Amino acid sequence: MILARYGNWLLWALLMAGLIGFFGWGGRPQMVGLFIASGLAVGSLYALAGIGIVVLYRATGVLNFAGGAAGAAGAMTAWQLTAWGFWEPLGWLACLLVATAITLFYGRLIAPRLAWRETVVKAVATLGFALIILGAISFLWADDPRSISLPTDAIGVRLLGMRITATRLLLFAASIGIVLGIWLFLARTTIGLQMRALANDRDLAALMGIPILRVETIAWGIAGLLAGFTGLMFADLIRLEPSVITFMVIPGIAAAICGRLENLAVVLIGGLSMGVIENMLTMSPVLRGVRPIAPFVIAALVLLYYQRGQRLTFGGRD
Amino acid sequence: MRHLFHVTPSGWAGLATAAFGILVLPSLASSYWLSVFTSMGCFLLAIAGVAFMYARLGMVSLTQVGLMGVGGWIALRLNHAFDFPFEVNLALAATATMIFGWILALPALRMRGLYLALVTLMAAGGLEIIFATFQFPNGGAGFWGVQTGSGAAFRRPWIAQSPQAYLRYVIACALLGFLCIELHRRLQPGRAWALIRRSEAAAMAAGVNVTLYKTWAFGIAGLLGGAAGALLAGSLGLLDDGTFRASESVMIFALAVVGGAHSWQGALIAAVLYKVLPALLNIWGVDANLAFVIFGAGLLHAVITAPQGIAGQVLEGLGRLSPKRGAKDA
Repeated sequence: MILARYGNWLLWALLMAGLIGFFGWGGRPQMVGLFIASGLAVGSLYALAGIGIVVLYRATGVLNFAGGAAGAAGAMTAWQLTAWGFWEPLGWLACLLVATAITLFYGRLIAPRLAWRETVVKAVATLGFALIILGAISFLWADDPRSISLPTDAIGVRLLGMRITATRLLLFAASIGIVLGIWLFLARTTIGLQMRALANDRDLAALMGIPILRVETIAWGIAGLLAGFTGLMFADLIRLEPSVITFMVIPGIAAAICGRLENLAVVLIGGLSMGVIENMLTMSPVLRGVRPIAPFVIAALVLLYYQRGQRLTFGGRD
Repeated sequence: MRHLFHVTPSGWAGLATAAFGILVLPSLASSYWLSVFTSMGCFLLAIAGVAFMYARLGMVSLTQVGLMGVGGWIALRLNHAFDFPFEVNLALAATATMIFGWILALPALRMRGLYLALVTLMAAGGLEIIFATFQFPNGGAGFWGVQTGSGAAFRRPWIAQSPQAYLRYVIACALLGFLCIELHRRLQPGRAWALIRRSEAAAMAAGVNVTLYKTWAFGIAGLLGGAAGALLAGSLGLLDDGTFRASESVMIFALAVVGGAHSWQGALIAAVLYKVLPALLNIWGVDANLAFVIFGAGLLHAVITAPQGIAGQVLEGLGRLSPKRGAKDA
């Protein structure tokens, strides 16, 4: 009984311990610890991107490829404002605002026109929007090495003999806090209840008089805020380059797949595990070169694992 | 048998277009346009594969350009390792990519709709990283065969050494690809696909092996993608990993929807949009980034206003003009 219930978690824990042990074998413990810590930070980025995708997908049925592009636009705005000498927090706020505004624009003006199309076509349409944003920001900001640094980069925290920047800790804490917050929001508020109703059955929810437009707008807003925050953190921790931030959605989708596009906690854990495994591959001389492949392989394996023992499934809607 | 070789009006138009492409186009085009049209022909073949899967079975493959990369890699590898003629390399690359497509498809086919699309997207993401890490063979030593500096030559088919002849060769291959799809459509697999498209459960109840025929379709898309990659390798002599990004695969699918997946005209429109439009913008001196904006806006516009794609819109317009169709409707 217990095995059936917690078997998946047990398997996950064993696999993670095995992989970390395998790749970290022979390395200094502190080194392994550092790789895990920075893996958790990268994984938080994947998880946050995935959470934005899942919240929006459940509430509106749109798989949003444009989240990364919105985040990139926000991060570039933040950089520009800082370069012009504005107060830094103003730049961060602008990042969130720009990303939210862009996402809301799509959600209110373009997405409703596609409401009756297949899910895949809706997803492809958001790709068109991502291209528009990416083209516009690459046109506005010519290709130059740029960087954003948050004040938390300079603060180091000593943890078990390792020095970890406060940004990484902040990001890790934020990803857990955001999942908890969204979970509470969905479980306790009226809007959250309505969102769950929409996710369950859109047509029935509409018949029951749920204000679809309002609920969807809020979902787009949440997705936009998350995109802005992820974009800013990505720019700080990894790279401030529009095309790289734009296509961060693909590993984000990999994280979302781990949670079957519905379970936020599993998306979080999936994203974190992907980040850690990806970073642990750095310690392997053979696999070092292909380490960015980790999220895709993990997502594919997880999907196969979910499908085990099933025959062709019919019925239901995609 | 009579039905098997019956040529529809649309089929005649397709044959006429191919004849125009083979007989007239190469002598008109400058060397710049020859290379644009040749790579357009290669991508046309790949788009035919995605569009066919989407139109016949509703299956979405977001990894077609990745499969092209696989085909191109195998063709380059064979070219630099053995002395085979181009046709052998092409056939082996296409077959190997078909098998690769099958391997990819078998576990993925239990999934439908969005999930199938996402699995193929993961495959595309993985292939992108493999190509970026290991690069394409250019005559170096070892299995990966990469050397720095200029690479060894790629042998073109002996009947198509010049750029003009190679363009004809590519167009002929694309025509063969379309005919292969049409032939399948008119035989047993086509009937099975039509039934599966209606309802998988009904198809299975009627004794159709659903998994086999879905895998078969994936294999055809792989075959066409692999052949397209090998032809592209022949056109350029070497391949660059930037061509085979996951985003390009998504773009190819998007354009197939924009053009219209149900007809050959749609695939042609998609290929023109993918290759000829950027070349035109380049000539007109439009910033490459603004081309992205135009592209994205066009994609959104087409997806919103034309559910059957541009080809569907045009064909519908033509149908309205024709008096015969009007009489039948009345």
